[in-house]
Amino acid sequence: MSSEVKLPRLGQGMEAGTIVKWLKAEGERVEKGEPLFEVDTDKATQEVEAEASGVLLRIAVASGEVPVGQTIAVIGEEGEELPLPPPDASTAGVPGAATAGDGRRHDGVTELPQVEEGAAAPVGARDTSGGGRRDESVPAAGAGAGRVKASPLARRMARERGVELAGLRGTGPDGRIVAEDVERAQAAAAAAPPPAAPAAPAVPAPGEVERIPLTRVRATIARRLTAAWEVPVFQLTVSADMTLATELVERARELNPGVRVTVTDLLTKVSAMALGRHRGVNVQFTEEALLRFPAANVGIAVAAPSGLVVPVIRSAERLSLAEIAARRTDLVGRAREGRLQQQELEEGTFTISNLGMYGVEQFTAVLNPPQAAILAVGATERRPAVRDGELVPRPLMTMTLTVDHRAVDGAEAADFLRTVKSFVEEPALAL
Amino acid sequence: MAKVEKRRALSQERLREFLREMLLIRRFEEKVEERFRAGELPGFLHVAIGQEAVAVGVCQALEDGDVFASTHRAHGHTLARGTHPNAVMAELYGKLEGCSHGYGGSMHLYDVERGNLGANAVVAGGLPAIVGAGLAFKLRDEPRVAVAFFGDGATNTGTFHESLNLAQLWKTKSLFVCENNHWAESTPGWQHSPVWDDMSKRALAYDMAAVKVDGQDVEEVFEVTREALERVRSGEGPVFLDVETFRMEGHYIGDAQIYRSKEDRAEAAAHDPIAALRERLDLADEEWEALDGEVRGVVEASVEFAKAGTDPQPEDALKNVYA
Amino acid sequence: MPELTYRAAVRQALADAMRADGDVFVMGEDIAEMGGSMGVTQGLLDEFGPERVRNTPISEMAIVGAAIGAAMQGMRPVVEIMYEDFLTLSLEQIVNQAAKHRYMSGGQLKVPLTIRTQGGAGWSPGAQHAQQLEAWLVHVPGLKVVFASSPNDVRGLLWSSIYDDNPVIFFEHRLLYPIKEEAPAELEPVPIGKARVVREGGDVTVIATGPLVHRSLKAAERAEADGISVEVVDPRTLQPLDVDTLVESVKKTNRAVVAHEAVTRMGFGAEVTAVLQEQAFDWLDAPIERVGAKFAPLAFAPAMEQFVVPQPDDVLAAIRRTVEREQ
Repeated sequence: MSSEVKLPRLGQGMEAGTIVKWLKAEGERVEKGEPLFEVDTDKATQEVEAEASGVLLRIAVASGEVPVGQTIAVIGEEGEELPLPPPDASTAGVPGAATAGDGRRHDGVTELPQVEEGAAAPVGARDTSGGGRRDESVPAAGAGAGRVKASPLARRMARERGVELAGLRGTGPDGRIVAEDVERAQAAAAAAPPPAAPAAPAVPAPGEVERIPLTRVRATIARRLTAAWEVPVFQLTVSADMTLATELVERARELNPGVRVTVTDLLTKVSAMALGRHRGVNVQFTEEALLRFPAANVGIAVAAPSGLVVPVIRSAERLSLAEIAARRTDLVGRAREGRLQQQELEEGTFTISNLGMYGVEQFTAVLNPPQAAILAVGATERRPAVRDGELVPRPLMTMTLTVDHRAVDGAEAADFLRTVKSFVEEPALAL
Repeated sequence: MAKVEKRRALSQERLREFLREMLLIRRFEEKVEERFRAGELPGFLHVAIGQEAVAVGVCQALEDGDVFASTHRAHGHTLARGTHPNAVMAELYGKLEGCSHGYGGSMHLYDVERGNLGANAVVAGGLPAIVGAGLAFKLRDEPRVAVAFFGDGATNTGTFHESLNLAQLWKTKSLFVCENNHWAESTPGWQHSPVWDDMSKRALAYDMAAVKVDGQDVEEVFEVTREALERVRSGEGPVFLDVETFRMEGHYIGDAQIYRSKEDRAEAAAHDPIAALRERLDLADEEWEALDGEVRGVVEASVEFAKAGTDPQPEDALKNVYA
Repeated sequence: MPELTYRAAVRQALADAMRADGDVFVMGEDIAEMGGSMGVTQGLLDEFGPERVRNTPISEMAIVGAAIGAAMQGMRPVVEIMYEDFLTLSLEQIVNQAAKHRYMSGGQLKVPLTIRTQGGAGWSPGAQHAQQLEAWLVHVPGLKVVFASSPNDVRGLLWSSIYDDNPVIFFEHRLLYPIKEEAPAELEPVPIGKARVVREGGDVTVIATGPLVHRSLKAAERAEADGISVEVVDPRTLQPLDVDTLVESVKKTNRAVVAHEAVTRMGFGAEVTAVLQEQAFDWLDAPIERVGAKFAPLAFAPAMEQFVVPQPDDVLAAIRRTVEREQ
């Protein structure tokens, strides 16, 4: 008796999937539980196992988007009659071939790398413009103008909210940018970049504009982040002295030669501990109720080939630093290969996004809905600081927390962030 | 007004006391000149050499509760009223142990416990307050007197005239002591005042009782002051003492006195009040030596005391601005 | 509650203090039978007699100086200087003596003296009878300076000034004497060094003294009609200045106007402006505006006087400049 292979619903909210690759050919024997095909969902590309044993009699959809529940293949016994029409010639899927049109590239890794101890950003040009300066609004370059005219209040607001002053239209006297102008700019289209995937496409021929069709993942990212942008948020920023943290990471590496512990792992652990103390941040807003979660499932933002994905380390508060590092290594590795399981992307309660590897001093991440908070982490670099009235260089790392104000208030979030900072600066406090 | 008859009513004992006090001032001032030239004393200093009899004579006549205001030439008055040389020297060295705790210096010596309401760097600046203190004593019916020291130069200021006018008008318990040494810094009397040769006329202009005094005779100063104080204390009204005296040195330490003739300086030296009293008492050399030695010892000790004193903290500058 | 004029309020504070304390006495020119050139001390001679209500000769130096002397002996004299222009005659005693005795003596003396004076433009007093010189006195360490704008404030502050152990220069203003306000029968002391928010608002803070408090309130009403919400704060004491209240207000509104009748240049407003920009720099959405008299002595002809002295319209224009937009 033949059985139809239908596209399964692999996760909450999945309505369709894009068949990417068949792992068995028509006529091949397949055993139940064996990987049968790969599908591109909202969040990841993943393998789907066969639910029956037999011969893959027919592949009805070789590739392309299919709604959930549609029959895409038939498994049966050789010689059985098939109820399906013959396969669509134009979508003949060749197992193993990378199909065109989905924008998938196998170019340079874009996993979020470990942040090295100390100052220097490992790759690319530094984002700083002068020793230790904070990410400030830079004087405009517009039309050879030189200095941006803005009130002190407007400058401060722009600084705090990550809004670029240059390019803002000032409505004050003499074109001065005033507070209202900054507020207007922020409320309008996105000025803060989402956690970026820096993979560069191959350079097109001069004069030719390439049209890169949206992958499922890209479209989903766009849709979800646009929705996230409508959430009323606020951002809090702190800088932490990384002296003890980097020592701890070093020591952890010595003690755990089998796995490479990183600052991201430490941040995962301390965020989870902090969420345990500030359960009011480990929440999600819904129309009917505020959901509060018992465990800290911390997601790590990763740039996968198809786009941004956020694998989740569940109950991170119960894991040791080494366990977190191992888990993270595994997840990120498979994310890079596009081999994450759907459930590894689900049930996250908090996200960490780290762009320190690129020398970014500070950035503001967009919320990862439906989560209420996301932590954007910058590079650790030596900057001037004041200790005991003296000006000394310290390794400082800047973190910005974006928070869903419907679910969490300023004081609670600030308290949480203060705890995170204190745990980072003095890891012993987290014990 | 009549010149007071010289009464030889003071005992030898008392006069010897006066001599010691005057000699203390003299040796103190000489030491101050020496230490200033050695570069140890900040600011500028005006010594009272030659005018010791005025300081001692007046201050010895004061009672407890009487107050006085002095001028920029204040070391003599301060010591004569009983402030210890240690406290004065420490103030000149700018130490916390100074009588103004380092805040005043030579021209702002205060010792409120002893009625010293402060030396004043503004000529005649202290006179109005003496009118006011005298008014307070009158309003409260207290048997106290407020005394103002000032020089002939001060008699030309508006402050002086307003003060004498008001004091006489309200009959405040104030005594005005003009130390007339015929010099206003480098300006001789004849060059600054139309009545320079009879300063008591200034007082008469306000219908104030005036007495002429030989400022180099400490006994006369003492007696006249005592009588004047009695009168003022009774509420009869203020009194003006026109005290003739001599400034034996320059206006300030280091003043070469190029404006002053040798004869004038010689005349001043010839009127040394200490020499005069010494002669009058007919002291034996040994007695003089002993006295001088004792006084010099005290002065030396005051320098040691001052040098060992405590420097104020820089931040102390912000204290005492307000009560 | 009964109404009290500013003039009567000053008188009441003097009388209350003199009744309570035999050490308080007043002196000045023409203050006894005449009751003062502004009528403030009327009736005091009858109640307290000529020893405690003393007419003086025209001797500002000696009047102030004598008060210093009496104060140093523990009395609490209140001197009236008829016009604040004549403060200039007594400045040597105020600045060199009163302000410095405590300091120079290393803390041995106190000078609990109050000098009351009045000044300002109005009814063509001419250049030598109209000045506002409070800035000169605020500049001298050791003095306190008070300038109340309402009957309750002037009454409560004069009391506090008399009982402050420091020399206080207490400014009144001729145009304020007739203004009325409801006041409790009992004097309520107002602390020295505390500002008062006279009118609450959200868009711009106007910090004003003396008659400019009232002109700013007028300007505020007109600004309200334009949709601008104005907060008016009266420092009341100029030295020591209640910086916290002023800064808190500017941090709330993000805009400031400083207004006084005295000449703008080097006026008290310049100090307030400097302090605000030091302490609230990152809260300022517009430059701080100053309103004051133009830089000229006060002319006699009314039209010229009117031109030089700041009016409600000047405050309104300044308010508008702080919220100005290009389009």
